[in-house]
Amino acid sequence: MVFDGEKMMELSEALKKFLSNGASLSFSGMGGEQCVAHAYEIVRLGVRDLTLIGDSPCEAADVLIGAGLVKKVEVGWIGYAVAGIAYNYRRAVEQGIPNKIEVEEYTNYTMGLRFLAGAMDIPFIPTKSLLGSDIPNYNSRIKIVDDPYTNEPVALLPAAKPDLAIVHVHKADPEGNAQMLGFSSNAENIARAAKHTIVTCEEIVSTEEIRRRPNLTLIPQYCVDAVVELPFACHPWNMPYYYAYDIPFHMKQMDAFRTREGFLKWLEDWCLTCEDHFEYCKKVGWDRLNKLARIERKFMKIE
Amino acid sequence: MENKKYAKDYTLSELMVAATSREIKDRETIFAGVGLPCLGALTALLTHAPRAIIATEGGCIGPLPKRLLLGIGDNACAENAICTTSLWRLFSDLQRGYFDVGMLGGAQVDKYGNLNSTAIFGKGSYLNPAVRLPGSGGANDIASSAKRTIIMIPLDKRKFVEKVDYITSPGHIDGKMREKLKLRGGGPSAVITDKCIFRFDKNTKEMYLDALFPGVTIDDVLSNMSFEIKVSPNLRTVEPPTEEEVQIIRTLDPKGIYTGDGLSKLTFEDYIQMLEDSYRNIGKLYIIKLGRQAFERCSK
Repeated sequence: MVFDGEKMMELSEALKKFLSNGASLSFSGMGGEQCVAHAYEIVRLGVRDLTLIGDSPCEAADVLIGAGLVKKVEVGWIGYAVAGIAYNYRRAVEQGIPNKIEVEEYTNYTMGLRFLAGAMDIPFIPTKSLLGSDIPNYNSRIKIVDDPYTNEPVALLPAAKPDLAIVHVHKADPEGNAQMLGFSSNAENIARAAKHTIVTCEEIVSTEEIRRRPNLTLIPQYCVDAVVELPFACHPWNMPYYYAYDIPFHMKQMDAFRTREGFLKWLEDWCLTCEDHFEYCKKVGWDRLNKLARIERKFMKIE
Repeated sequence: MENKKYAKDYTLSELMVAATSREIKDRETIFAGVGLPCLGALTALLTHAPRAIIATEGGCIGPLPKRLLLGIGDNACAENAICTTSLWRLFSDLQRGYFDVGMLGGAQVDKYGNLNSTAIFGKGSYLNPAVRLPGSGGANDIASSAKRTIIMIPLDKRKFVEKVDYITSPGHIDGKMREKLKLRGGGPSAVITDKCIFRFDKNTKEMYLDALFPGVTIDDVLSNMSFEIKVSPNLRTVEPPTEEEVQIIRTLDPKGIYTGDGLSKLTFEDYIQMLEDSYRNIGKLYIIKLGRQAFERCSK
């Protein structure tokens, strides 16, 4: 059931409405386009016992795990790629700091297929990935069976149907028609697989603008419960056409995350003492953010 | 092949990139990881394989970026691409058999090219590992379905092990299993290290030493592995990078982000300047190597 009311709201309001303790949650983003502001807001609200379901929810997963808000992950990958490894994830698995988490592992493609199955409302989906690896040996929800038509081995994956999807896009109108430029990871299926969907966007546009290029709409309004305008929501990660990756910032962050104390201090400085995402942006510096936006436009312009 | 001008001054990383580049043929489709593999693929595109297509996991196909790719979901992956789509769509193209080459790395590899990027168990187990690694990401999918894979991994006793703790990405599994399971892809074809190149025997599917980097001995290789392998009767020496290859690699990665330790020293101002310079210099490289038509496509 899509929420019946005004959809445009603040992020904190949307999260209070649609995210409760013990819920399962999915974020859009792959490599870049990461949901950072969203994870910080969940930390501010202190919603806990979360199950994260995602392909590679790098930053959101690592931050929420470090904040002690996660009990289980169903994922393909957790790390910061070029910037570094996920220290909080490592501490949780290796030492149970701040708490032990349950890890149910898949791959990027098979998580994508689980969301596709969820979005189609079918119970499972077969794939030719995973066979011959140890992934199914340590994950009893993956079933290796013989295809009844060809007798060839296939791996079956359970559909993913999170309680809440948080999807960050380039443009959305106030009803939630959401458009992305560049690659879209699994956003369209995450939005459709979930019971509720919050769309956040770099900019709110008119429905007329959406109608001008309907083929860019990944997620139509009927999948969407809440719409939030949230510019620079991926910082320090990148958003194609809008702003470049702030990798020097990420390197500083990784240095801090190396130790538990460093991470907690970072969370204090960049999340808990910032009232909201706009305070975070102010602290990063609008000048710095504008430089990242300006350099991006040099490489990729929207026509 | 004649009249090649080999570079006199090059680094080990640059040699690895050049060796990777030579594994790629024109018009091939490549599922590339970030870092040295991607530099290898781009170098191929700018030398002998101008019509090769590079794809990255987030859903980007055929980019011609005028900046270094800083991740599989960096904006550069979408820059001047022929197609940007979704992750599951791109990986479905992989499973469907459209990708010739996949590039993989890992923390451990065995003689069949099985890779571990999930966890080093140490004295513990999967649930209590000594080192928790990021996991498969797309690696298992690429290993399963790319027609062939190229593995890049530094030669090290702890990395080249008799048995990997956990098979994240299947290589030739036990030598026979891959065919039984009817995996879509053919498995690993080459392992490129910082000392040598290994390939796999057609029949046994076991790794053998195929070529040494200049100045490296067979013993240097064998003493850095935890399992025994055969040495090719036609053992070759890897050609050094050419002057052209080195110039391309240094234009693509001017600060040594992947070929050196440039990232740790990179300030915000240096970074913005690097992007400004790359815009101009990589743009120029495209005109020279790919012709004006390609450049105009990139610079509108």
